[in-house]
Amino acid sequence: MTLSYPGRIFSLLLAATFGGYLLTSAVVILVAAILPLSRADAVITSSLLSFAVYTAVIIWVFAVKDAKRAWTGMLSATVIIGGTGLLLTELLR
Amino acid sequence: MKQATAVNNEPGRFRQAMAWLHTWGGLVASWALFAIFLTGTIGVFDDDITHWMNPERAMVGEFDPQTNTQQQRLDAVTKGEAYLRDIAPQSHLWRIRLPSEVDPAIGLTWENENEQFQQARLHPVSGELLTQKQERETQGGHHFVHMHFEFHAGTAGIWLVGFFTMIMLVALVSGIIIHKRIFKDFFTFRPGKGQRSWLDAHNASSVLSLPFQLMIAYTGLIVFVTVYMPVGVIANYDHPRTFFAEVFNQPEHRPETGIQAEVYPVTELFEKAEALMEKPASFISVEHPGDSSAVAKVFGLFEKEKNTGRLLFLSSGQVILDAVTGELLHIEAPDLFDKSNAFAAQRIMRTLHFANFGGYTVRWIYFILGMAGTIMMATGAILFMVKRRQRSLNEFGAQTPKVYRAIEVLNISAISGLMVACIAFFWVNRLLPLEVADRAGWEIKLFFFIWLGSLLHAALRPASRAWIEQLIGFAVLSLLLPIVNWLTTGQHLFHYFARGDWSNVGFELTILLFGVLGVFTVKILKRKQQKTITEANRVYKPESESA
Repeated sequence: MTLSYPGRIFSLLLAATFGGYLLTSAVVILVAAILPLSRADAVITSSLLSFAVYTAVIIWVFAVKDAKRAWTGMLSATVIIGGTGLLLTELLR
Repeated sequence: MKQATAVNNEPGRFRQAMAWLHTWGGLVASWALFAIFLTGTIGVFDDDITHWMNPERAMVGEFDPQTNTQQQRLDAVTKGEAYLRDIAPQSHLWRIRLPSEVDPAIGLTWENENEQFQQARLHPVSGELLTQKQERETQGGHHFVHMHFEFHAGTAGIWLVGFFTMIMLVALVSGIIIHKRIFKDFFTFRPGKGQRSWLDAHNASSVLSLPFQLMIAYTGLIVFVTVYMPVGVIANYDHPRTFFAEVFNQPEHRPETGIQAEVYPVTELFEKAEALMEKPASFISVEHPGDSSAVAKVFGLFEKEKNTGRLLFLSSGQVILDAVTGELLHIEAPDLFDKSNAFAAQRIMRTLHFANFGGYTVRWIYFILGMAGTIMMATGAILFMVKRRQRSLNEFGAQTPKVYRAIEVLNISAISGLMVACIAFFWVNRLLPLEVADRAGWEIKLFFFIWLGSLLHAALRPASRAWIEQLIGFAVLSLLLPIVNWLTTGQHLFHYFARGDWSNVGFELTILLFGVLGVFTVKILKRKQQKTITEANRVYKPESESA
């Protein structure tokens, strides 16, 4: 399946905005779970870092430039990181 | 050209992708970011602007809340309490703000039955409601601050601003990546060279203020971190109030019970809190008055001099009381910071964004760097068009000229149009009759209408004319503003000098300076257009002779 040029750009934009936000959220959950701080402090610290993560993810999406690769890479990373994060949150709480 | 040879290798391709991202991301966001930046930069002086926009109100700094006696403070609370008990016996929230340096009236805020915030101001001595006739109703400098963080559009606006701020972060980072000669370009400016000059101006303004731009974008996102990134709280807490209670080191917010209960005398709560903190208070709020869950929060007076030069503000003191029984629930001692390091980091980022940690020196530095930021956005957007005006890149096939025209029109109204609207806002403040209903709202509506008018004007006129005409409008409105002020209020620059009202002196001199800068810009643009026309004629002549 090949998309037209505007279609590819649109897919990349969606990947960067929404996909990037999902992956960033997953990273926030994981970092909050593993930081050796009190619960509230860990949540604040990981949230404070989140926009740097988001920026890096967006840059990465546009560096890859391939919408399909960007989506697969991002969604699998989101599932793995977010899953581990949620699991650790439950276990360490 | 350099890029064309470099695309084959990996770093070259990466840089090219970043150039694309910077160009298009930057362009799409530049209109909104210019608005966010310009209004934010103006908003640095929001209190001074509010002061100028309220000529009937007493002078800023004339009233020092620290000289208030306890009896005066308690009287003020009693007056506010009586008014609120009368107008909103059942509400989600009451707030009473005591007379302050910025506003010497008693400020009241409450939520009505539709959960909408209502405001009123009472005369500090007589306790009478201050009406529009005595004072012009205006949002003052807050208009710029609200444009800056929410476009006057509530939560949706906060998200929009966040969205564009993220694009700004990405544009900054991709801009750094594509910019190989970052330090050399810092010293490079080649005026009068068309596209090259615009690029130099864009590079210089960006590189010069880069650390500031990164800081202000990032801390801006942090101000609303719990709105933009709620996932950490959601994953770890059943309810956000538990999180906030932990962070603030305070008892949890009490949800409403629906059981009616008489509010404890608010003035007594205030008096009690002052005694517990051993210092004057300046603010009291009552959550859910009339309900058995009612809670009162009393805030100590913020002492500016104690926090000057500090990025981490010390607590001004806070007392939380049960507003039904009057029982003490929590006390936060003044003059220290007893929260965690992570929260301290967040507070510091907030302070960095709000520019209120070092008086006028810091405000002026922020103003200048903010203006550098607006120049960065404006020159970036203009550069995009200048590049394509010389040689179309044909990105949109047959539609390209139409798209370029639309971009040009948006550029004009987003940049010069907004500048006109901002100055016109001050004219509206002086010219709109005092008795107009919802006067403050109309000031803002007219601001938007004028901005919209600039879009219409840009769409109807050739681009080069539209730029010049709007900039002339800006310059004339700026230069005549002090005269309009004199004609409408009888106040003028010399009068402010004589009175020692430096806030208003600074305001009017700054406006005049911008007017003069506007005149110069118009002159430069006109000279350039003249040059382009003569050059075009020179090229055209031999051709016509040969034909």
